[in-house]
Amino acid sequence: MSFTFRLMLRDLRSGDLLTLLLALIISVSTVTSIGLFIDRLQLSFEKESATLLAADRLVRSDDEISKDWVTKATDLNLQYAERTSFTTMMFANDALQLSQLSAVTDAYPLRGRFLVDDSLFGTGYNTIDIPQPGEVWVSSRLASLLNVDIGDQVEVGDTSLTIAKLLVRDPGSSTSAFAISPRAVMNMADVAATNVIIPGSRVRYSLLLAGDKAALDEYENWVTPQFNDSQRWRTPVQRGERIGDTIGRAESFLLLAGTLAVVMAGVAMALASARFVKRHLMQVAILKTLGATPKLLGKVFFQQLAVLFIVGSVLGLAIGWGIQEVIASILSGLMSTGLPEPSVIRLWLGAATGLISMLVFCLPLMSHLIKISPLSVLQPNARVELNSALIYVVGFMGIYGLMCIYTNGFLLPTIMTIAIAGIALFVAGIGWLAFKLGRSLTSGATSGWQIGLASLYRRLVPNLFQLLVFTLIIMLTLILIGIKSNLIADWQQQLPEDAPNHYLFNVQANQIESINSATDALNVPRSDWYPMVRGRVVSVNNESVQDLYPDERGEPELYERELNLTWSDTIGQGNTLVSGNFSAEGLSVEQEAAKEANLTLGDELSINIGGNLVTLPITSIRTVDWGSMQPNFYLILPRSVLQDYPANFVSSLFIDETSAQPFYKSMAQFPTVSILNVGDVLRQIQTIIGQLSKAIQLVLFCILSAGALVLLASVRSTLEERLEEGALLRVLGAKSALVRQALLVEFGALGFFAGLIAALGAEACLLGLQVFVFNSAPSFHPSLWLFGPAIGIGVITSIGLLASRKVLNVPPMHLLRDL
Amino acid sequence: MTSNTAIKVTNLTHTVTSNTGNLTILKGINMEIKESESVAIVGSSGSGKSTLLGLLAGLDVNTSGDILVYDQPFSGQSEEKRALIRGEHVGFVFQSFHLLPSLQAIENVMLPAELKGDKDARVKAEALLEKVGLSHRLTHYPRQLSGGEQQRVAIARAFASNPKILFADEPTGNLDEENGKLIIQLLFDLNRSQGTTLVMVTHDNELAKMCDRQLVMSAGQLTEKSL
Repeated sequence: MSFTFRLMLRDLRSGDLLTLLLALIISVSTVTSIGLFIDRLQLSFEKESATLLAADRLVRSDDEISKDWVTKATDLNLQYAERTSFTTMMFANDALQLSQLSAVTDAYPLRGRFLVDDSLFGTGYNTIDIPQPGEVWVSSRLASLLNVDIGDQVEVGDTSLTIAKLLVRDPGSSTSAFAISPRAVMNMADVAATNVIIPGSRVRYSLLLAGDKAALDEYENWVTPQFNDSQRWRTPVQRGERIGDTIGRAESFLLLAGTLAVVMAGVAMALASARFVKRHLMQVAILKTLGATPKLLGKVFFQQLAVLFIVGSVLGLAIGWGIQEVIASILSGLMSTGLPEPSVIRLWLGAATGLISMLVFCLPLMSHLIKISPLSVLQPNARVELNSALIYVVGFMGIYGLMCIYTNGFLLPTIMTIAIAGIALFVAGIGWLAFKLGRSLTSGATSGWQIGLASLYRRLVPNLFQLLVFTLIIMLTLILIGIKSNLIADWQQQLPEDAPNHYLFNVQANQIESINSATDALNVPRSDWYPMVRGRVVSVNNESVQDLYPDERGEPELYERELNLTWSDTIGQGNTLVSGNFSAEGLSVEQEAAKEANLTLGDELSINIGGNLVTLPITSIRTVDWGSMQPNFYLILPRSVLQDYPANFVSSLFIDETSAQPFYKSMAQFPTVSILNVGDVLRQIQTIIGQLSKAIQLVLFCILSAGALVLLASVRSTLEERLEEGALLRVLGAKSALVRQALLVEFGALGFFAGLIAALGAEACLLGLQVFVFNSAPSFHPSLWLFGPAIGIGVITSIGLLASRKVLNVPPMHLLRDL
Repeated sequence: MTSNTAIKVTNLTHTVTSNTGNLTILKGINMEIKESESVAIVGSSGSGKSTLLGLLAGLDVNTSGDILVYDQPFSGQSEEKRALIRGEHVGFVFQSFHLLPSLQAIENVMLPAELKGDKDARVKAEALLEKVGLSHRLTHYPRQLSGGEQQRVAIARAFASNPKILFADEPTGNLDEENGKLIIQLLFDLNRSQGTTLVMVTHDNELAKMCDRQLVMSAGQLTEKSL
């Protein structure tokens, strides 16, 4: 065995090398586990969202899909399917009903499954089939409206189809107003025979694609330049925008958490390296006196670092892989689509963290170690000349680089760096003042309080550094906990379990009472009824919309289509008044719509309602929570203006699984009422939110464990001095209780200040994150101010006393001999 | 330099920079130490004894003048070259022992031979530890040994590389009288049996008297004390 390895094995016994190895393993495994887990979650979200689209990507068009586009998909080895959706009348016996029909090809759906049943209003089972030629699957509602059941014939245009199954859910079903009519699915092969698609028909063609992301990207780059105005490229995230938003925030959180893991891993490595070097200074000087040349020592340390890197990285990667497997198995029951396998390629991130940490922290320190003068053995006070500034610069560059690699950008690392630098300055200033104050309040050394507070000032620089590390870790913990509860509360608030999942449209005033009694009998919660009158804005401040937007380019949504208008005496749930007076005899406009159309209070809009022109000033502007799932309106008019127009009514309801069947049955007596079911989408969103909340808590736990280890490493880095002092005090006759009190005061004060400053920093950061990153309303977090100092005192005192227990338990002679 | 000269020093001057300006610690020192000679360097604290020892052993680089160790110049050499010369010719015994705390007694003694790539390092170390009376303490760590035992391990380590010159810096400074005597006995016995040149810095007049020559360091200058 070579000298290097013999020395290394002996070093391992002493524990110093082991500390460094442990730090490396923790760094690599934390980054690996979080990296891999986030990767799996992202893949899972994509898969989950894809079931809403029935594909990974989708081309939507008002024109028939070009054969070239299909050929190209085949060339790129992409799976594809086609769907043609149109609205048509369906006939059965004497009944007729306007229906929303989708014709699909064999491969449909590429993602997700049809949910079908064999009896009316059943809850359904999954199937991978599609209707055979000559067959049609109709929704229970359509079947009841047409008064048909399985095996009956329905007519679609010129052809007749047999009902084979009852459709519960189409994985790619639209939730837009376009889909209000009852639904049915048929085979693409039968479309031509129906003769319902003629030039000018309102038809939506979709080409569904699934496969390798690179191929999908290539396809997107190839196809989108050929698009006309009606054609769109859809991704799962765009499709379920609410899900996209939720996932986006969760990804921001996980990315932030992962980046913090990288920073903590770096700090842990830096602390462990510094301790290793400090403990080896004399060893190197002695080896030099024994004839070890700098070249030999360089070789020895380089080989040791290489072995350390290989062993640490392999173990770290393996442990990291194991941890994420454990997290994934805990979550597996929650994931409806199952977690996809992590990409092995993501392992490089953990290995890179190990390598860069070694390069930036160990290597420069080791190279300084080799430069120590052998004269130190004769002059123990001779200090090794460390070019600290350079080491810090290299270390900082390393961590910054790792963060950039990790986040794949510069913004987040830069913001975090600036924030940390600001905090460092602040901590140094406050800490210096506090420690100095503590010192001036205590003179002499008769009580543990005095000794403890005096120690803070005596070891000013190491204590300030430790204060900074503690502050940062407590702050990051508070921020993560804050974000986590914020995110989850926000999501849950956004989508409570009883969020409305059905809308009723086209309800006539005389039907309201009967529907109310039907839903009341089923105990179905329902929103208020909103009257709806159709109207179109034709002029603004006496200038016609046509003149304002002659070619309709840039025309605000408020003017470009006929709007649903309503009246209301009260501002209604989910609406908040921004300016003006809601009760005034004028228009109330939704804030975003007003902004887009550049409208303010006092502007006058003329609205064409059923051929009559109504001109009203804007008297109030309000915000609308579009996520509340309540009926919401851009324009609300005074009751006096609208009440004489014929209106139909809209309401939203929450229907749980048990009341679904009786509800649909009871609604069959109102064939003209349209029902829009958004429950599937909501359920999927709620599932994802549930998964995310669990995942985020687990990731948080991992980060906090890493943080605790960093704290421990930090306490250990100044352990010798504390041990020496404690031993001396005991030699001089101090009782264990006094030494314990002094340590308690020192660690307690460090923890208290760290916790207090951390609470301040966390509050500021949370406000910033709420406003700029998560786009939610800013809020004050009083609990931070309690938890910060409490965590600081509790955790740091425990870790400190645990690490320093030798001072109290071991005879002072042994301690002094060991030092 | 004649063939039996171990160390020759000519016009050695050493200046260090401190907060208060330059401080000349050694002022034009000339001396010659013969092979197998035992030389004590005495003087008051701060007179420059340890600095001179460090320079003679090539642990530091002098400001001006020449130091030759077995005809090889230390002055102007790189740390690499000086380490090679130390490994070949020099052994050390320190006041505070300077054993590596993470290594057992035997491993500490094996180090110099291992650095030279000697395959028989363990056998030689065992023999040396036996000579210093510690064959029963081979696998003990320094913290498990008394001060006297630690210094005996240090002496075994110093002789492990068969040095031609042994530098000792206050070797009994941290020991009680009894252990001190034991250590001195060991040092001189090994010095005689192996023909090693011994250069020792000490405050102890009794110990100094046992050496062939005594050099007195005072205010950076060296004078021979007539015996």
